[in-house]
Amino acid sequence: MQRLCMALAAVTFCAPAMADTSYPLKAHEAPDFALHAIAGGNVRLSEHRGDVVILSFWGSRCTPCREQLAALNRTLATYRSAGLQVYGINVDDDQTRALAYAHGESVTFPLLLDPEKAVSRSYQVDNLPMTLLIDRNGTVRFCVRDYNAKSEELFLQQLRALLNE
Amino acid sequence: MQYVVRLLLVLTCLAMPVAFAQAPLTAEPPPASAAPAADAAPPATGAVPPADGSAAAPSDAAPAPDTRGLDTEVQGLKKDVVDLNRELFVLEEELLFPANTQVAVFVSMDVGDFFALDSVTLKIDQKEVINYLYTPREVEALLKGGVHRLYLGNLKVGKHELVAFFSGKGPNDRDYKRGATLKFEKGIGAKYLELKINDRQRKQQPEFEVKDWE
Repeated sequence: MQRLCMALAAVTFCAPAMADTSYPLKAHEAPDFALHAIAGGNVRLSEHRGDVVILSFWGSRCTPCREQLAALNRTLATYRSAGLQVYGINVDDDQTRALAYAHGESVTFPLLLDPEKAVSRSYQVDNLPMTLLIDRNGTVRFCVRDYNAKSEELFLQQLRALLNE
Repeated sequence: MQYVVRLLLVLTCLAMPVAFAQAPLTAEPPPASAAPAADAAPPATGAVPPADGSAAAPSDAAPAPDTRGLDTEVQGLKKDVVDLNRELFVLEEELLFPANTQVAVFVSMDVGDFFALDSVTLKIDQKEVINYLYTPREVEALLKGGVHRLYLGNLKVGKHELVAFFSGKGPNDRDYKRGATLKFEKGIGAKYLELKINDRQRKQQPEFEVKDWE
């Protein structure tokens, strides 16, 4: 019984890391894209080489997505001066919901629209929220497929390491 | 006399730790890890290396010329890679888009007071070939005189039709969408077309034009 408990604990503890290692684009160049922003100009990923970029795929009906966007807003406020860029990519079919959310919430980073899901497909998004860390050379370094306190802590550790590189 | 003997003994005792502190360093052989440094060091004059670690200084300074050489080598390799990449790029273009079928479409912009470019959709022979979103930086580059190669493809010799749709913000910050059409004939050589966005001061409106570079 003890062994079983230990095994379960190990699996739970390693879950974020396991999810990360199974992401097929990890250690590969992040696919480039250009998307419309809900407010402001269009955004092209390749223009941000030299910055650490966080891409967060979200949907307006997903509650953890909203929590994560709020957390990312705080993270951006802390690390913006260190060269951090954050983009939220909305994958809703109905863009009016995304617009309503964007006008209701006060996130300071651009929220991008991906109505045709071309970017979501290229990044093989299979869960919401899904957050990617891209290093200063444009390589995908870390992926979080879920949002909770444990995964957030791990994510922040990785982010700090990337910003220090 | 006893006082003199005691004083000598005290002095001897005080001197002992200093002597022992130096003795192991001089008596013991250098550690294995230090051996290469000792080999690399200039020929010894018989003096024992000092115990304060200053002996490491010559061994640290010695590989500096090698590092510089390595750096030059790396820079040379980088240059070779860049040259090779350029040659491969040219070769790829020549293979994928041979001059007899090549068609290139460019975008340029002048002034931009009446139109803020957002995107261009290009159709050739009623088939959409590209939809390009322009970022503020790219628009800025266009306004500074830059020319953007929007599309590079292949077309057969003969008559073709090009339709370009320009989206953005027009006068008074209103959404603005206009089209421009050109019927052109593709010859044996490469074809270059330019989509020009100009301001028409009289009408206070933007003007979209497709120019055929023979």
